Amino acid sequence: FKSVRLLDIIIDLDGFVSFFIISAFHLSYNMLLNQLRCEEGDPENLLRNSFFQFQADRAIPDLEKQIKSLEKERNSMVIEEEESLKNYYNLIFQHKSLKKDICEIVFTPKYCLPFLLPNRAVCLDCTNDDEEQQSFSIEDQDTWGVIMKFNKVKSLFEDDDNRRPEDANYTVDVLTRCMVSKDGVGKKKVKAVPIKERGEPVVVTVPLSQIKSLSSAIMNIPKDLVPLEARENALKKVSELLSRHPDGIPLDPEVDMKIKSSSYKKTVRRLEALENLFEKHKIAKSPLITEKLKVLHMKEELTAKIKSLKKTVRSSTTLAFKDELKARKRVLRRLGYTNSDNVVELKGKVACEISSAEELTLTELMFSGVFKDAKVEELVSLLSCFVWRERLPDAAKPREELDLLFIQLQDTARRVAELQLDCKVEIDVENFVQSFRPDIMEAVYAWAKGSKFFEVMKIVRVFEGSLIRAIRRMEEVLQQLIVAAKSIGETQLEAKLEEAVSKIKRDIVFAASLYL
Amino acid sequence: MVMRKLQLPLSQTQKVRFDRAIERLHSLSSTANSDASVIVTDSIPVNHDDAFLKGHGTSEVNGELLATVCGVVERVDKLVYVRTLRARYKPEVGDIVVGRVIEVAQKRWRVELNFNQDGVLMLSSMNMPDGIQRRRTSVDELNMRNIFVEHDVVCAEVRNFQHDGSLQLQARSQKYGKLEKGQLLKVDPYLVKRSKHHFHYIESLGIDLIIGCNGFIWVGEHVEVRDPMAIDDQKDEDMISSSAENTGKEQIFTLLETRQTICRMGNAIRVLSNLGFTVTLEIIMETVNLSNSKNVDIHDMLGSEFHVVVAENEAERRRTKRKK
Repeated sequence: FKSVRLLDIIIDLDGFVSFFIISAFHLSYNMLLNQLRCEEGDPENLLRNSFFQFQADRAIPDLEKQIKSLEKERNSMVIEEEESLKNYYNLIFQHKSLKKDICEIVFTPKYCLPFLLPNRAVCLDCTNDDEEQQSFSIEDQDTWGVIMKFNKVKSLFEDDDNRRPEDANYTVDVLTRCMVSKDGVGKKKVKAVPIKERGEPVVVTVPLSQIKSLSSAIMNIPKDLVPLEARENALKKVSELLSRHPDGIPLDPEVDMKIKSSSYKKTVRRLEALENLFEKHKIAKSPLITEKLKVLHMKEELTAKIKSLKKTVRSSTTLAFKDELKARKRVLRRLGYTNSDNVVELKGKVACEISSAEELTLTELMFSGVFKDAKVEELVSLLSCFVWRERLPDAAKPREELDLLFIQLQDTARRVAELQLDCKVEIDVENFVQSFRPDIMEAVYAWAKGSKFFEVMKIVRVFEGSLIRAIRRMEEVLQQLIVAAKSIGETQLEAKLEEAVSKIKRDIVFAASLYL
Repeated sequence: MVMRKLQLPLSQTQKVRFDRAIERLHSLSSTANSDASVIVTDSIPVNHDDAFLKGHGTSEVNGELLATVCGVVERVDKLVYVRTLRARYKPEVGDIVVGRVIEVAQKRWRVELNFNQDGVLMLSSMNMPDGIQRRRTSVDELNMRNIFVEHDVVCAEVRNFQHDGSLQLQARSQKYGKLEKGQLLKVDPYLVKRSKHHFHYIESLGIDLIIGCNGFIWVGEHVEVRDPMAIDDQKDEDMISSSAENTGKEQIFTLLETRQTICRMGNAIRVLSNLGFTVTLEIIMETVNLSNSKNVDIHDMLGSEFHVVVAENEAERRRTKRKK
């Protein structure tokens, strides 16, 4: 008999642990309003007794144990001359970051595209990222190759079309010595390696960020590179160039590429100063420097981990969601749903009734009179935006009147989201506005008008079950809106909503059972 | 704040003082909404091109929006409605109400609430005396009289409305339930504004004050609210043994002082109700302290002199508050 120790692991019948339950508790305005409505509603008490808080509290002893063990491990690592070593370590990192900055500036498409001509020799950065340890010298691995051509990367989202061409991503096809290997799945992996090492000359696509420097030398290379000898010859030419000019006659960024950016000049000066410091550092001559640096690196990593764990512990001991609770209360006060004493007002009472859809936006829509003018079918279509959360790729644009309503909905949603952001609730305004999808507006309009279900299915391509679920949810929202309209006294609106319910509640969508 | 004619005989000087106090109160109260007050069949000014929602107290007749009640026009976004100044109690879900049991019916009690229908308190909406959550059996039904009988005063919360408009109540926590050792006072429902807390415990006097939204106010001796979940088993046993002793003997009577304080507070509330002031804890305590400081006898509190004094004091208090 296996006793279950922890309450939040699902264990199936064979005794195998399936997965952990992680609390998805979150605050909602409807919950908050209903709590404020009754005298003994205490949102803080609810939060304190929630499963989320329980899990957070329960994880604390575990985290503390982890912290202790990590600290012990870190203190056991003893390095001599730690102070100066740390200094050197910092210098190395600074150097690396400065170099990276320079590369970024030099290789923005704006400056370097004119120089990415075919047959130009180029130096690539090929640090092996499979290795765990970082290299601790100022020199890093690089290789040389010849540019074939460059390509613009087509981005995945069409919305990025309006990005300026200078900012788009580019890749460069380079002929260089590579190691071709097959990884576990059988896919070919091509990795650039230094030119002297073993490998074959292959054309490989590298991102712009991997280029270290451009050479001013343009090689004379045959157009046809399919035969292996042609490629070998090309690489031999590059090696010759290197042997004659070890640094490969690089293009000087300021003179040749005409980079006049002041930040570039500043960074170059800092780099020179830093390189000077390297020479002068006394510990640079110490024999076991690389090993010591490795140990130091591990120690730094441990310290960083300890710090982040401590931060997690600190944030778990305070009440989860407390800030969010305060921010949400602020939002309710601003919108007029509660007065300054946190007593629920008329608008708040309407929002209390709505629990199946986004309550703030729906209440704002109701009070702005949008529901009053719209016809019954249009009203139903508008509500479908609240219950449909998926994104259909090829949805038809709804007709004009519906589109108008949808735009009003989006405006209201944007207003609500911006106010929430103002009150320091964490919310992404655009995301929130985009979460209301008009994809099934046409279909629901047709259903409300009285079409048969198979006709409705022709209008929009979704799973039948999803559409039925959406329509049923809509009926729920309508029922809640009827109660809300009754509470504010709008009899006309109430009658309209009841008519809407009778129009959509029919046939197969609301059949209690498909078999009986 | 609504003023009403005082139904007491006032002497000449008292009348003068009273009128002066009322005048000052009028001038202090906000006059912003006086243009918005309407009587029945008054036309409400509305922009007809804009979509507006018609709320309570309005109706559309011949293209015009008319008021159907006397009150003040309120606008919330596009909603236009008329808020009545004096009307019957209008219950909302979550209101605290105090009422008197008038009937023990099948599985429910009917409670008088100063509403146009009786409130219904179901047996299942009541906590069982032993605190266990269980299904109510027929034995429980037969023992309903042990919990509440006719003429008991109870405190409950509005749970929801039935289809026919009557109220359903619930008394699910220890704070609600039978109220003993105190006075029930009836004031006009519009004098009680909805606020955050309706249960007040005045520690210095040891008095419980429950201001029901329906206009029924309870002033009584303080009863320790026992939270069944927060008690250890050991303490529970002690309590059970001590309460068993109590029911065996005669009931412990309330102290004379407490009873006098209860009467004083009750009279203070009556005075405030006569004068038409909104009843809140603050103003009740003010009045009680005033009566104590002026050494007014409890019976004399209902006399005309004290009414005039209270009116003057209130005008003074509001003026100082306004200055701040």
